[in-house]
Amino acid sequence: MTLSKLSLRNAKRQARDYMVYFVTVVMSAALLYAFNGLVFSQEIISLQSSMDSLPLMIVLASIVVVCVFGWLVAYATGFMLLRRSRELGTYLLIGLENRQVARLFFLENLAVGGCSLALGLVLGALLYQTFRAIILTLFGLPYRFTLGLSLPATALTAFYFALIYLHALRRNRKRIRKMKIYDLIYFDRQNEGIVVQTGRKRRWIFSVSIVLGVIGTLLLTAGNMFLGVIGAGCIILFLFGFFLSFASGVPGYFDRKPARKYRGQNLLVFRTLTAKLATMGIVMSVISMIFAATLMTEGSGLVFHGLFRGRAAESACFDLYFGIEGETQNPEPYLDYIAENIPVEQSLLYRVYLTGSPQVQDFISSRTVYYYYNYHQDTVLRWSDYAALRAIAGYPPAEPEPGRYLIHCMTYLEETLQNYTRSITLGGTTLTPGSIYTEHLYQSYGVANGRGYILVVPDDATQGLDIHHLSYAAKTSEPVTAAQYEALNDITKAKDNLMTDPEAYAFVTTKADEDAQVAAMTALSVFPLFFLALALTMTAATILTIQQLSESDRYQRQFELLRKLGMDRREMAAALRTQFAIYYTMPAVPSILIGIPFILNLAKTPEPGVMVGASSPAAIVCIALCIFFLIYAVYILLAYTSLRRNVLPGNR
Amino acid sequence: MLQVQNIEKYYGSRNNVTKALDRVSFNVDAGEFLAIMGASGSGKTTLLNCISTIDTISAGKILLDGVSISDLSESELAKFRRERLGFVFQDFNLLDTLTVEENIGLALTLNHTDPNAVQNKVREVAGKLGITDILGKFPYQVSGGQKQRTACARAMVAGQSLILADEPTGALDSRASKNLLEIMSAINRDPGATILMVTHDAYSASYAGRVLFLKDGRVFNELLRGERGRSVFYHEILDVLAALGGDVSDVI
Repeated sequence: MTLSKLSLRNAKRQARDYMVYFVTVVMSAALLYAFNGLVFSQEIISLQSSMDSLPLMIVLASIVVVCVFGWLVAYATGFMLLRRSRELGTYLLIGLENRQVARLFFLENLAVGGCSLALGLVLGALLYQTFRAIILTLFGLPYRFTLGLSLPATALTAFYFALIYLHALRRNRKRIRKMKIYDLIYFDRQNEGIVVQTGRKRRWIFSVSIVLGVIGTLLLTAGNMFLGVIGAGCIILFLFGFFLSFASGVPGYFDRKPARKYRGQNLLVFRTLTAKLATMGIVMSVISMIFAATLMTEGSGLVFHGLFRGRAAESACFDLYFGIEGETQNPEPYLDYIAENIPVEQSLLYRVYLTGSPQVQDFISSRTVYYYYNYHQDTVLRWSDYAALRAIAGYPPAEPEPGRYLIHCMTYLEETLQNYTRSITLGGTTLTPGSIYTEHLYQSYGVANGRGYILVVPDDATQGLDIHHLSYAAKTSEPVTAAQYEALNDITKAKDNLMTDPEAYAFVTTKADEDAQVAAMTALSVFPLFFLALALTMTAATILTIQQLSESDRYQRQFELLRKLGMDRREMAAALRTQFAIYYTMPAVPSILIGIPFILNLAKTPEPGVMVGASSPAAIVCIALCIFFLIYAVYILLAYTSLRRNVLPGNR
Repeated sequence: MLQVQNIEKYYGSRNNVTKALDRVSFNVDAGEFLAIMGASGSGKTTLLNCISTIDTISAGKILLDGVSISDLSESELAKFRRERLGFVFQDFNLLDTLTVEENIGLALTLNHTDPNAVQNKVREVAGKLGITDILGKFPYQVSGGQKQRTACARAMVAGQSLILADEPTGALDSRASKNLLEIMSAINRDPGATILMVTHDAYSASYAGRVLFLKDGRVFNELLRGERGRSVFYHEILDVLAALGGDVSDVI
């Protein structure tokens, strides 16, 4: 048999033994290709001006992803090399040279890598179409399925893959060249020796790490940024301490309480875990850190997405809007351009007034923690303007309430303002509080319909009030184009024509531009972040799974013996399940402890009123956890069914 | 205590049937130490596997205290094995992730013994078998003889009434073998454990009170020790083996 035939046969067997790893490598090739497809797609990049930075963002994410996958492949190939020590030792024993064995290993990994790349490219081409569909939908453009392989994207993927594999194989070639027959053949015995670690120092580390874990959790949940950072530090120390000392600490605990050890399936479960963790303490800590990073990345992606969407929802309620600050304004340059170029169905030129007193604002700031002031007094709209604005925005008409003032506010202020019961007096008219409306009404910026809230009063009550700015809102029959928006912005830049006050401010916004901005920002931030998160979860879950599945033989022998000794099959399945659940939960718990407070804090950073509904901090935490556990669950399920099938007697 | 009645065991497909056991019958009384001998392939391990319910029989009956074990369900068999049977294997079959103490305690855990009582029971049995010193060690840290004594402790700690030993001295040197056999004789005498031992070693068999010889799946001969000394019995066993036609050097 030639060396290449032997390599091919080994590669096939390896693919069967390490199916999960193989699938992950294929998926990584597919992901890399799909993202590279975006890098080289002119169709996508030319969607919006800011999409120019998409290739850079994806290449930056790809560099991290290549490092992560590089670590996975290096770890997995190194791991397989160790597991096959006896086989490789036999090759050396029958006269093969180290050089030849290294070549054999190189060839079979090349075969696995090559197949993964080929399969990954096919899958990647499909995945790219999915990404393309998502982005085009974000921009509100029609999508048509086309299938093809982009040459530059393929070349870049192959280049990344070559980097990943060559790094791993170079490391292993060095290792094989230094190997001695004795070490290889007696490798199993060395491995068993490591199982016992009962040093007093390790037990001490175990106790300290548990204390640090408790302190870290308390600090993280305290809700203070500074304490949170210290808490995260404690959790990281706990992580390394705990996983490094678990194999000594837990037996120490059971030595003091032997009855607990012999209760139920504790003995089997904890010993299997300690044996496993004794050899993979550092890896477990790293995996836990990766999970924390995954949650943070997913959370950040969702926060960014929520932020862009939340801001746009408020800003994009009118097809076209502009505002000019000051008492004396000249909207003619804008109006002339609009009249000539933009088909308007319905429009309104109106004024936003100031009440002369900040009484509602003072009330809000005394009850709401975060609030940014753009005005130093309460802002007011005339009832007739308000009714017209509702019609332009497409909202149902509001009921007039004589003798009362209405409040139109952003959702987050509704609860606070419901408790506001004071009346206001404007130009001799006293008005009592009326209904509250909360639809989007462009209430975020300086020349907007108030900041967070605006009071709506009968038209004659605004007599004699100061004007803060002039506004214009319109409903157009077609979306305002990017070119039209540019032209309006040019008018804003030459602001001397618009107003007399040099300090004053003007602003134009269009629904079409806001939507395109959201789409572009989502594509720019969310795509690379989720790319990263996916790569991280897959890598960590794969390492956990190959570690677990590599023990199949040992578990099989163990359960066969237990069957002979009279253990019930149901009890065996329960023991396997418990052991499995603990093994997969352990690295996830610290990452959740770090990840959740991080996401909550990040989601609370944007201005109030933006992160609401599906983008509220709690919802983002839930979604991030769901995405994370969904991917994780796939691996757990794969590993569990495979192990159960291979290990429990009567299943084979 | 144990009645084996005309059991048969076939392996293979319809066209290629191998008869591993052919109408084997014998009884074992409570407190007896019985050895089953035969050359490789004579069916002795198959017989032991059938008695221990790990393997099924093709025909016949095995009764333990009057209960036919072939009528029991899967879960009843599991219960039967953990409560009534103790196993000692040639390759020890200890779990390498458990300490010696835990390996012994495992039999009690499987029997749902009160967790508070486990450690004391283990120590009591370990004291009898002289392995108290190594209770905290892992199997790969102790000698073959100590491993086999650990296996014996596991086979008796839960009060199992029948100990099944498959070539228990197979992987031991002569000194460790002698030590183990003396211990087995002692537990046969003192708590009165019934022992069924499969071996192809005449020296090991000479510790038993009765020896059954198997050849080609059938009971070929039976030898009772009675009041004779062990060395006399040993020579008688050798004589029977010679008559069996096996290679004597293979069986000594």
